Amino acid sequence: MDTSFLRPNPSSGVPIYLQLIEQVKHAIETGALRAGEQLPGIRPLAERLVINPNTVAKAYRELEHEGVIELRHGAGAFVSADRRPRQLTNTMRAGQAIVAATVERLRARGLGEDEIRRLFEAQLAGLPRKGERSA
Amino acid sequence: MLWYKAWLETRWRFLIGLAVLLVFACGAVFDYPAIARLNASVSAIDAPGNLGRLIREAAETQRTYRGFIWFQWYRQNLVQMWTILAVLLGSGGLLAASSRAALFALSMPASRTRVAGVRAATALMELLVLALVPSLLIPLLSPAVGQHYGLGDTAVHSVSLFLAGSVFFSLAFLLSAVFDDFWRPMLITCAVALSQTLVGALVGLPFSGMLRVMSAESYFRSGQVPWVGLGLALTVGLLMLYAAVAVVERRDF
Amino acid sequence: MPEPIIETVALRKTYGDVEALRGLTLQVQAGSICGFLGRNGAGKTTTLKILLGMMRPTSGEARVFGRRADDSTASVEIRRDVAFVGEDKPLFDYMTVSEMVRFTAAFYPRWRRDLERHYLGIFGLSPAVKVKTLSRGMRTGLAVLLALCRDARLLILDEPTSGLDPAVSEQVLQALVSHVASAEMTVFFSSHHIAEVEQIADRVVMIDRGRATVAAALDDLREQYRRIRFVFDDDAPAVPVFRAEGVERVSRDGRVLTVLASGGAERIVEEARPLGPVSIDVIPVSLKEIFLESSGVEG
Repeated sequence: MDTSFLRPNPSSGVPIYLQLIEQVKHAIETGALRAGEQLPGIRPLAERLVINPNTVAKAYRELEHEGVIELRHGAGAFVSADRRPRQLTNTMRAGQAIVAATVERLRARGLGEDEIRRLFEAQLAGLPRKGERSA
Repeated sequence: MLWYKAWLETRWRFLIGLAVLLVFACGAVFDYPAIARLNASVSAIDAPGNLGRLIREAAETQRTYRGFIWFQWYRQNLVQMWTILAVLLGSGGLLAASSRAALFALSMPASRTRVAGVRAATALMELLVLALVPSLLIPLLSPAVGQHYGLGDTAVHSVSLFLAGSVFFSLAFLLSAVFDDFWRPMLITCAVALSQTLVGALVGLPFSGMLRVMSAESYFRSGQVPWVGLGLALTVGLLMLYAAVAVVERRDF
Repeated sequence: MPEPIIETVALRKTYGDVEALRGLTLQVQAGSICGFLGRNGAGKTTTLKILLGMMRPTSGEARVFGRRADDSTASVEIRRDVAFVGEDKPLFDYMTVSEMVRFTAAFYPRWRRDLERHYLGIFGLSPAVKVKTLSRGMRTGLAVLLALCRDARLLILDEPTSGLDPAVSEQVLQALVSHVASAEMTVFFSSHHIAEVEQIADRVVMIDRGRATVAAALDDLREQYRRIRFVFDDDAPAVPVFRAEGVERVSRDGRVLTVLASGGAERIVEEARPLGPVSIDVIPVSLKEIFLESSGVEG
């Protein structure tokens, strides 16, 4: 799993720690990471990807907060054996169905791929942070 | 390691200077027989005025071997070349060497006083060697031309040169602390040195006082070590070194 | 909040009639990689030199590890735990690589021989080569090696990757990242390469004409700065005065009103809705744009 982490894009506008979180979740969904498997250490991963170790630490903390991984003191980071990640996968599948339907409807209205993408990005960028009420 | 660094910075000037002085010392000794013969005929020449007087005085002084060595070596060759080396070693100290090197030295956990002090001390030790060692060659080689030169004379003359002449080192060192380049300290100090030694010697003005102290003329003529002159030169030199270190401590890099 | 590793308070520096620093106030916390961005002549190098005791401020305070940087004795103590790599990679040209290593190691009792071997290999440095013959990349590599092997708590670098090809640049960045990986180490580096700052820094301080303009965590900047575009049916209304905070700049171009916000995008959107825009776009802002904006360049 070490070597299959992709280098995050620092200029994409998405914070690097979020990109890492996405990569871990995606790896779990696709089976590249299984329950109980160990993730790379914070320091080696930071060195391999040439990013700030604090960023890796932040991503791991967030993943632990969401229950996706467990941080075992002294031993490292491990994928949770919890039910919760599987719930996440189910939610993702449901979400994928919603997105597919929405994209079809937008295409039916004559919007092109780029336009659809812009709408989604604008919507996401304009959304308040998790936990805050929407305006 | 600061000593090693100072050595690396000054070693070529030192080694080349040492080599040149050793060669000239040999030259002085082995030239004696030829010069002695020349001198015999010079005193008969009747040249007019000041110049004529100087030529006759020079010939008189060089009648004896001791006088010859004093005149050729301690009053001309050694003084001139050593002074140039003193100026060279004093220029381009901590700073002018290259501001790149200076920034690295300044980023080390060593006080500026220590860095500059080590540099000055290394150069001064090299200058002492440059005054003493080639001069020691003279008593060593004199028997080869059937002459004898005393160790006591060697010691007094070379140490006097070092103590008095280090003023020029200090001046160059101080100017290097103030100016950032290599050339200005060197040229200014050379100008001062020139006015003190060469010009004064020719024209016989009070300027030549410096040359007299550096060559310990009073000791040569009457066994009187020029304590006052040496004391003065040392004091001025030390004050300039102190000023140089103060400048280095306070300025921006 | 623990004491900052680096702190300046209203720092001023004047050379002759040039005011290089005009009241710079900044902090750098321990354990972070902090990028120092500024245009040429903005005062970056002056700030770094003052922190290292190479220059004295005209007024104001500069502290490293809580000690005054302009006090000569304190400055020597500071430098026992700091490594500096200057813009021209200052080194002694007349020494060889191994002489430079021995010289530097003599000043730092905690010298890391393991890292020395490691970086000699990474940067391809042979011990007997004279420094003046090193290529630019190797020279930087040597300077970085000498900085990292000291095991110093704070690294200060002035444009560490300037003039380097991408491969060596990446090696330098990797070396910096691995240094901070052990807790309590801090890196403060100035750079023109915004992409690199985005890659490894977690905090950013921007300086413009001798003053700090932006100082924030990089992630906060990414999450807070937004460009909001309102498109109207007719000509956009005259530039409104927003009550909401965070409006940095508002510009009008035909039927489009653009607002650059450093935070609170949602409230700004709400405030502008009554104006009746036909569409509203909220777009993230890159660090480069934030930098150009803060240094007064038209974006």
